[in-house]
Amino acid sequence: MTPHLPRAIDQGLANCHVCGKVSPVVLRHCPRCGSALHLRKPASMQRTVALLIAAGALYLPANLLPVMTLSELGDVMASTILQGMAEFWRRQAYPIAIVIFVASIMIPLIKIVALVWLCAAASGKVHSSPRILGRIYGFTELLGRWSMVDIFVVSILVALCQFGAYMTVTPGPGALAFAGVVVLTMFAAMSFDPRLLWDRLESLKAPDPTPPPPDRE
Amino acid sequence: MAVPERTAARCQRCGVVLYQNRPASLVRVTAFSLTALVLMGIVNTFPFLTMESNGIRTELSLVRAARELIREGSPVIGWGVALFTIIAPLAMAGGMLYVCGPLLVGRAAPGARHVARWLGRTEPWNMIEVFLLGVLVSLMKLGKMADLYFGVGFWAFAALMLCMAAAVAGIDRNELWDRLEVAEE
Repeated sequence: MTPHLPRAIDQGLANCHVCGKVSPVVLRHCPRCGSALHLRKPASMQRTVALLIAAGALYLPANLLPVMTLSELGDVMASTILQGMAEFWRRQAYPIAIVIFVASIMIPLIKIVALVWLCAAASGKVHSSPRILGRIYGFTELLGRWSMVDIFVVSILVALCQFGAYMTVTPGPGALAFAGVVVLTMFAAMSFDPRLLWDRLESLKAPDPTPPPPDRE
Repeated sequence: MAVPERTAARCQRCGVVLYQNRPASLVRVTAFSLTALVLMGIVNTFPFLTMESNGIRTELSLVRAARELIREGSPVIGWGVALFTIIAPLAMAGGMLYVCGPLLVGRAAPGARHVARWLGRTEPWNMIEVFLLGVLVSLMKLGKMADLYFGVGFWAFAALMLCMAAAVAGIDRNELWDRLEVAEE
């Protein structure tokens, strides 16, 4: 167990989100870079939950609608992300199939579930170790962008496969939904403040006699 | 308390790295971002990937990857691809050079603080390494359907990815802002 450490929030000190300088939150703006100061990311939970709901709503269309359509000699074949992966598996290109499965299907789902769990933990609905939750948070922030790989594949195939009647690839409606899921979960991860997990623990340990000063704009 | 070069300070509570003292940070960022800008010029002027099928040739470039999507009726994704592969990397490399170059001689370029504030916000949207993975997946997908040739642009792009990663990894946020604070405009 770590010894009890003093917290900046109890002393009204804020860590600038942009430049990292620690200054009294009453200054309202960072004296070094001029950004607005906050003790915690403002409306962190509300923003994260709202973005997650939007991402969750797009998750099904992203995976059920075709991300691209291949027209080959009059044959039109629409393919979803899952079908694209299955095609690689069938052709025994296992490493690529696994890369697509992890980047396009697992990571977005894990991100949404992990952030919902983090929000539940920060609001006290579930109890888990903040240390592990913090690791999960770092992981979701790091991996999120790799899901964009399928969108790039669509853009590359659309640009390359322009052989008129012989073969063309056009983007499908699933691509927009999928890009939406990736961008929204990236914003959700950015708006979540992992310090909220520790604040929860702190308030459970000992009801603070002096409540922390309220977060100013 | 000072953190010696090449060491890092960790949070006592959760163990996350709070600060790393990176040696020769400014020189590294300046050098790698300048190289990245030169490589971006090469990537966007020389052919990237050429595909030949039944006597018809098509070419891939970053601009084309975005433009064809816009033309094929997906302007939002098209602009997104442009943002992630052209605009954000260009803004990152240009911004890093603009801020760190003059700081090497103790000066701050006009508006350097504004640019430095935007650097952190731009960073997650620079996805050139993800695009490179996308190229590899596409190659597997096209497989034996056509003949594919790598151009100079492709190798420059691979080098660009390494340079951008090295430049971003070289940023020492604390040192950068400490120097900006005392630099003359």
